[in-house]
Amino acid sequence: MADRTDVWQGTLALMILKTLETLGPLHGYGIARRIERTSGNQLSVKHGTIYPALLKLEQEGYVTSEWQVSKSNRRAKCYKLTRAGRKQLGEETRDWKAMAAIVARVLSAREGS
Amino acid sequence: MSALRSWFARLRGVFDKERREKELAEEIEAHLQMHLEDNVDAGMTPAEARRQALIEFGGIEQTKEDYRSRVGIPELETVIRDVRFGLHIMRKRAGFSIVAVITLALGIGFNTAIFSVVDSILLRPLPVKYPSQIMLLTPEQRRGVFSIHEYLEIEKQTPDIFSGLIGYEDWLDGVTVNGQTDRSMNSYVTGNFFSVLGIEPSLGRLFLPSEGRVAMADPVMVLSYSCWKSRFHRDSRIIGTKISVDGHEVRIVGVAPQGFYGVNSWVNVQGYLPIGMAPITGDVPDNFVANRTFRGLTVLGRVQDGVTLRKAESALGIAARQLSHEDPRDEEDLTLAVFPELTTRLGTPGTAVRVSGLFLGLGALVLILACLNIANLFLACAATRSREMALRAALGAGRGRLVRQMFTESILLAAAGAMLGIVLGWCGGAFLSSVNLQTDIPLRLEFSFDWRVLSYALAAAVVTALLVGIVPAIYVSRGELGPLLNQSGRYTMKGWRRFRNAFMAAQVGGSLMLLIAAGLFIRSLTKAQRANLGFDPDHVLNLTMDPLLTGYNKVQGTAFYRNLLDRVRALPGIVSASTAFSVPMGYTTIADTITIERNPREAAHQDSPSSYNVVSPGYFDNMRIAIIRGRAFTEADDEHAQHVAIVSESFARRYWPLVCPIGQRFKMAGDPQHFCRVIGVAADARYKGVTGSIGPYLYVPFAQRPWDDSWETLQVRTVRFPESMIPAIKREVDSLAVGQPIWDIETMNQGLYTLSGLLPFQVSADLAAALGVLGLILAVVGIYGVVSYDANQRTHEIAVRVALGAQPKAILITIIRQGMLVVAVGLVAGLAGAFATARLLKHFLIVSATDVATYLAVSTTLALVALVACWIPALRALCIEPAIALRHE
Repeated sequence: MADRTDVWQGTLALMILKTLETLGPLHGYGIARRIERTSGNQLSVKHGTIYPALLKLEQEGYVTSEWQVSKSNRRAKCYKLTRAGRKQLGEETRDWKAMAAIVARVLSAREGS
Repeated sequence: MSALRSWFARLRGVFDKERREKELAEEIEAHLQMHLEDNVDAGMTPAEARRQALIEFGGIEQTKEDYRSRVGIPELETVIRDVRFGLHIMRKRAGFSIVAVITLALGIGFNTAIFSVVDSILLRPLPVKYPSQIMLLTPEQRRGVFSIHEYLEIEKQTPDIFSGLIGYEDWLDGVTVNGQTDRSMNSYVTGNFFSVLGIEPSLGRLFLPSEGRVAMADPVMVLSYSCWKSRFHRDSRIIGTKISVDGHEVRIVGVAPQGFYGVNSWVNVQGYLPIGMAPITGDVPDNFVANRTFRGLTVLGRVQDGVTLRKAESALGIAARQLSHEDPRDEEDLTLAVFPELTTRLGTPGTAVRVSGLFLGLGALVLILACLNIANLFLACAATRSREMALRAALGAGRGRLVRQMFTESILLAAAGAMLGIVLGWCGGAFLSSVNLQTDIPLRLEFSFDWRVLSYALAAAVVTALLVGIVPAIYVSRGELGPLLNQSGRYTMKGWRRFRNAFMAAQVGGSLMLLIAAGLFIRSLTKAQRANLGFDPDHVLNLTMDPLLTGYNKVQGTAFYRNLLDRVRALPGIVSASTAFSVPMGYTTIADTITIERNPREAAHQDSPSSYNVVSPGYFDNMRIAIIRGRAFTEADDEHAQHVAIVSESFARRYWPLVCPIGQRFKMAGDPQHFCRVIGVAADARYKGVTGSIGPYLYVPFAQRPWDDSWETLQVRTVRFPESMIPAIKREVDSLAVGQPIWDIETMNQGLYTLSGLLPFQVSADLAAALGVLGLILAVVGIYGVVSYDANQRTHEIAVRVALGAQPKAILITIIRQGMLVVAVGLVAGLAGAFATARLLKHFLIVSATDVATYLAVSTTLALVALVACWIPALRALCIEPAIALRHE
């Protein structure tokens, strides 16, 4: 069974995919800040953990990466969602929502019902 | 799917690591830079901005570590690292590595060579379609051959069992091509032979089912591929040409495919003819198809899918009963048995298992000794590396890691040893196949390597790696590594001393067992060579020929030999000459069923088989076999005279124990028209096997032989060296019959070294001696290594003692005594082991397997050698200057 780190890594991956779908191709720093912001700063993610997660997504074929030169003449690695990644995002989102609904039901069950 | 993709990406990552790590560093730096800029924009000072960025990033090293562990496959990387390190260590310890690899190569190579022999003859399936379906049929009451009638009956009775039943007979023919006649082993086969076996021709066509049914009606021939290659140089125009076989013309219609050697794994058949043509060999009567008493056909069947052995046996039981019923006299109580072809390679399944078991067992022993050797040396080296191991452990390597490291080294050694061993094994196999079996018969001795042999070598290598690596691995995993870091590196781990000594004792014991086996085999050989054979083989030359191969009929053949003997006897330098069908220990033998003529009032005697020989007048005098009663053959005993015979002592004793044999009569089943009258009794002579009891034997005159061909061996007793008379005799033969081929020209002594004679003793002795020497070398190397290492470890201690006034000689004696104590234990263990396994060798020896003299002699020799092996390193250790030893920390 997956332990806590695995679950966390899974959800982080999900959030990265969502970020890339919404904002398009982005570098690691951008992804990290976006996740922070959209979570309402509730999640304090250590930025460093983004990179191993991005590597895994790349190995699985859900994102691709490319070095690009930004406006301020800086080299940054940009990550882009692939079609497989888009599909995976859709599936995982559905699964997550379904899981959340089930857990909610269990937690709200009254005695005797 | 993504998991697979991920795995491949990680595999790529193993080799791409450096680049990726560099990129990550760059990426992180860019990240921090961007964060820093944002923070400055938000109002922080640059220093504060950087600090905040770093905090929010988290541990940089941690990130790098996580990334690193994910970018490749860590397990693979450690293995690669281990292998690299192992190779480095091997290079550093080059001397040890070379010795180890060669030792292992010898062990693995020897085993592989033996296995390739066993595999080639006993294990490899026939080169036909679905070989596991091929069964051998055999009657239980007699030699496993059938008559044509029986074959056809069985075929008729078992349509549900066999999808095809084939028969064949192998004969040695004279094949004449362009005037040149050579001997050739041909297979006379039923018409469905090739189709049932699923063989396709490589040229022309193979036999039709109709061919061979009528005697002498189908003069066609199919060549084997090897014959086509060697004799006809792959000429594609030979189809349709005519050649002569035993003086009869046949037409070549096709060539069998490459790699097909027939259905006998021992023999390389050169050509195939329809069974109907068998009478041309001269050994098969013209009416053999209808003749129910002539039996020479070996029968194989292909079972249908789903037919079990039991079902086949019961169906054959019915067929047997049918045959018995039809012909109660000839087929009384006939029982048919069927075996998978693979189990019948060496005669009975028991012999095959025994012989191969012996050699494989010896090989395994050698391999184990080699492994013990290496393991011991490894152990010694491991002790010196204990410091390094302790350091690694301190730096965080788990025990599992250290164990894996040691195993990697042993695997590398085993792999190198295996590769070299396979090369050695291949050479060994080639050597074995060149052993001269003293026969012209084309025996198939190809010991090539197939997947079975290679997997055997691989298995041997794996076992070796485990055996060699396991002890140092345990050593490392159990040792208390902490204290080592504080020691001066001279830690010898006393407990392991016992282990090393046990190994050494095991080596000595194992070597002793091998040497005892060698000694016993050698003694067996000398005893066999000195056995009393009943004749005098010295100064005799054998030459074999058969005028039938060049077309001579029976009358002409008889005349040929009569003239030849006259001429040869007249040559200077010749003492005497005679001809015989069988030579002692030769491969040409014949037997027949004897019916003794009895007084009607006497109880009827069972018909019994007896081997016999067909000889010319002057045979007994020439061979120096005594005639103890009656007379020998003369020229008067010819084809027109009454049929006579001379019997051996054993024969006379068995059939006429109370009366004088002279004048008694008997009939031979192969010549039912004539009664043979006994005119003499000859002393027993050994024709088959140099030891054991001698069976009954009889002789008939050549002129009265019961068959048509004239195969005889001319045996000439010479004054000087027999070889010197070869040209003169050849000239005489040629002058009488131009182009007459002569083969198996050798002295009678050489001719004794056949498979039924002295050859098995010779080969076993050679092999055992080689093994013994190998075992001895391994033992010596092992003892020397261990004692030397021990002594070296103790130079410090020795130097202290010497400085304190001890006599060097006393210390020398102590070291030697300690070493010899272990050797003594090993010798005792070896003797016990040899005693216990003596039973296994019983079948192969003609001396007692527990022969005390051999045991004593071998043990003493090994003890002396061991003593020297202890003495020298001890002496060398003492020679080291005390000052140097004391200083050396």
